[in-house]
Amino acid sequence: MPRSLDDRETDMIKLYDFELSATCYTVRLMLSLLRIAFERIELDVYPGREHESPWFLAISPSGELPVMNDGGGVLTGVPAILEHLTGAYDPSGRWNPRDEPGVRHGIAQWLAVAGQLNATAGAARLHDTMFQAADIEACRAGAHRSFRALDEHLWFAEQSGHDWLCAAGHPTIADIACFPPVMLSEEGGISRLPYPAIRRWTDRVKRIPHFTPMSGIFNAAPLAAAPTSGRRTSA
Amino acid sequence: MAAGYTPDLVERWFAVARTEEVVPRHVVQAQLLDQEIALWRDDAGAVNAWENRCPHRGVRLSIGLNTGTELRCQYHGWRYATGSGQCTYIPAHPTQKPAATMRVARFGITEAHGFVWVSLGTPAGPPQGPATGCEHATTLRSIYTEASAATIAACLLRGYRFALDPLGADESSPDAVVVAEDAYTLRAKSSHAGEREAAVTFFLQPMGASQTVIHGLLTTHGVAADRLAVLRHHHRQMTALRDAAESR
Amino acid sequence: MDGGGRCVRDDACPAGRRVLRPPQVESLLWDDWHVVAEFEQLRRSGRFATALLDVPLTLELDPDSGTVLARAGDEPLASVRIKYGFVWVCLGEPSRDIVEFPECGDADRLLGTAGSVRVAVSGLRAVENFLDLSHLSFVHAGFLGEEPLTEVKPYSVESSPQGGVIATGCRVYQPKASPIAREGFDVDYTYAVLRPYIVVLYKANPVEQHRRDMIALFVQPVSAESCVAHLLTCYLEHGVEPAAVRRFQQFIFGQDRPILENQLPKRLPLTPAREIPVRADMASAAYRRWLTDAGIRYGAIPAAADPAA
Repeated sequence: MPRSLDDRETDMIKLYDFELSATCYTVRLMLSLLRIAFERIELDVYPGREHESPWFLAISPSGELPVMNDGGGVLTGVPAILEHLTGAYDPSGRWNPRDEPGVRHGIAQWLAVAGQLNATAGAARLHDTMFQAADIEACRAGAHRSFRALDEHLWFAEQSGHDWLCAAGHPTIADIACFPPVMLSEEGGISRLPYPAIRRWTDRVKRIPHFTPMSGIFNAAPLAAAPTSGRRTSA
Repeated sequence: MAAGYTPDLVERWFAVARTEEVVPRHVVQAQLLDQEIALWRDDAGAVNAWENRCPHRGVRLSIGLNTGTELRCQYHGWRYATGSGQCTYIPAHPTQKPAATMRVARFGITEAHGFVWVSLGTPAGPPQGPATGCEHATTLRSIYTEASAATIAACLLRGYRFALDPLGADESSPDAVVVAEDAYTLRAKSSHAGEREAAVTFFLQPMGASQTVIHGLLTTHGVAADRLAVLRHHHRQMTALRDAAESR
Repeated sequence: MDGGGRCVRDDACPAGRRVLRPPQVESLLWDDWHVVAEFEQLRRSGRFATALLDVPLTLELDPDSGTVLARAGDEPLASVRIKYGFVWVCLGEPSRDIVEFPECGDADRLLGTAGSVRVAVSGLRAVENFLDLSHLSFVHAGFLGEEPLTEVKPYSVESSPQGGVIATGCRVYQPKASPIAREGFDVDYTYAVLRPYIVVLYKANPVEQHRRDMIALFVQPVSAESCVAHLLTCYLEHGVEPAAVRRFQQFIFGQDRPILENQLPKRLPLTPAREIPVRADMASAAYRRWLTDAGIRYGAIPAAADPAA
């Protein structure tokens, strides 16, 4: 929820943000998972189009959100911001492992997929909710193609004992980047009924400690305290 | 709704999910003969197949919470008990016992051969199994297909391929005959030289007139050395089947 | 923001037409005013395409004269108004005036909107959701309600054919009732359904608790199974930052939208046995009865026509 500007502390990370934006939520989610306090500067993107106003274009010439200012350095877009946050604020090194080439390459691929998901499922959602112009049939068709591939990947990952997009044994920024446009897909008319592996994965993402939802996303039921059998459960 | 479907479709079992996919604290969203179903397993292991609609204000139960003993509707928090589907708690009236009429409609459900089976009616016997002499069974990945069950069956009857080509070259030439047991159950039996008899039984789940889920059960005499390679081979076959059916 | 209901079409275009009413739309809806856009959005884009009661509409703003031209297909519409910051249109012959909110004239109030939002469900479901009290501690947990304080205490409901449905004495504990609420308190709500697709709520202001903030929901029935939600906020000024009000309403409605889009069937069933109400649902049960008595079929599954009843 919006924090009053009176609470501003000048050293804090500043996030230029819009509540209903899936890409802004991606960054808010990462900040929550990393337990980083930040100052949220919320723009009236819709209907006010504040991201096109001169004051914001002076900060971010592309007019795109999310934009982050960390100690004077301005970063735009999900990949750059996630790279920066995990580089600077993840002592565990687990969210974006740099010393495992297989995982690193996987993360790069999935960040690209996340971009595609935002361009298809995300654009369909903005069209269906906030009148944003889009070739809606092409967006939905593109989203379904991506979802088919994603569901297949997750299914085979489960068969190999993995719960996440990258075979790292724990979630990475690949999961965080792909989760929002997938989770919000139904707002753009893209049902997840044909993608049961995706539906299991979204539950798992919601159970990551310090997960936070956004307006339109619900929390998952917690798992039982102790496993009921020796069989691996999808946690 | 099952309205408009003949009794032979209503009064029979259809596979709707692999058993291992109905995981704890999760609700599977399924569809059979145009009826949406909320499929979930309680913490004791029992499965439920409910109409995917809260009887209060019609919200899908598949977006609700599986607490292990109840489904909780996302709208007003109403809770429905596993097994009976009876509403046990209405948060707006916390001290009142919900009326017996507050109950989710339930469908027949059972588990067999690695699948969860649902019926919109009350079938007499258990689901038909693979009927092969093989002792090992593996469920394959279910394939969601934008085509009718009849179209898929017609494509399947052209043949199937068991032999894994290690070089991944020609995987399109069939080496197995496919026989239809009924409109929704087909069987491919391998006859490839050097292969002990293996079979894949295909169970078609009609979601609606032009959407079908293809479930597959692989039965073999021995356990494959490379399980993943076998799964991937059959997956390639089944996605090719899906693509052929969708392009008709 | 124009509170005076400036007429922008009648005298300038005497040839302005009325579209022929199709049989599946009742006169009660056809011959009444509906919001079809926020004026600011039209002003920004100059041209806006939408639909009302299955009729495609285009809205155009003439930047020089400030007049709004509304077309149903190629036919210019006779009845177009700007009021409370919205573009209102009547496809037929207006049987009554646009709803009036005297509060909007108060000098110490701020009027605001929240951006029109499309919803893939009958607009009648959106109105009913607005009336609903028992979802506040679930869908809006931490803001408009909170577990375990989920009990909805009895309240009063009255309805009349012309007056609509009014629910008074609704009390809900709200952790954060509005953007300026600093602590939780028991909020007093009054709801009034003024038209089949228009509902307003009055809630006690956190600072001046004997006066009320007003939020009106104007639902545009695009088709029988889809709508656009337009919100008008009319808050007392006290420390209210308009941008914060807009964000708050967008946040709250964003939580409702996936619930609405997951309701089956998409049209509102008017047969009582189809969806079972409890005492907390008195207002929505009265709303459904009122719709039946008014003969509303568009966006609904009327009791007589329901095959599942």
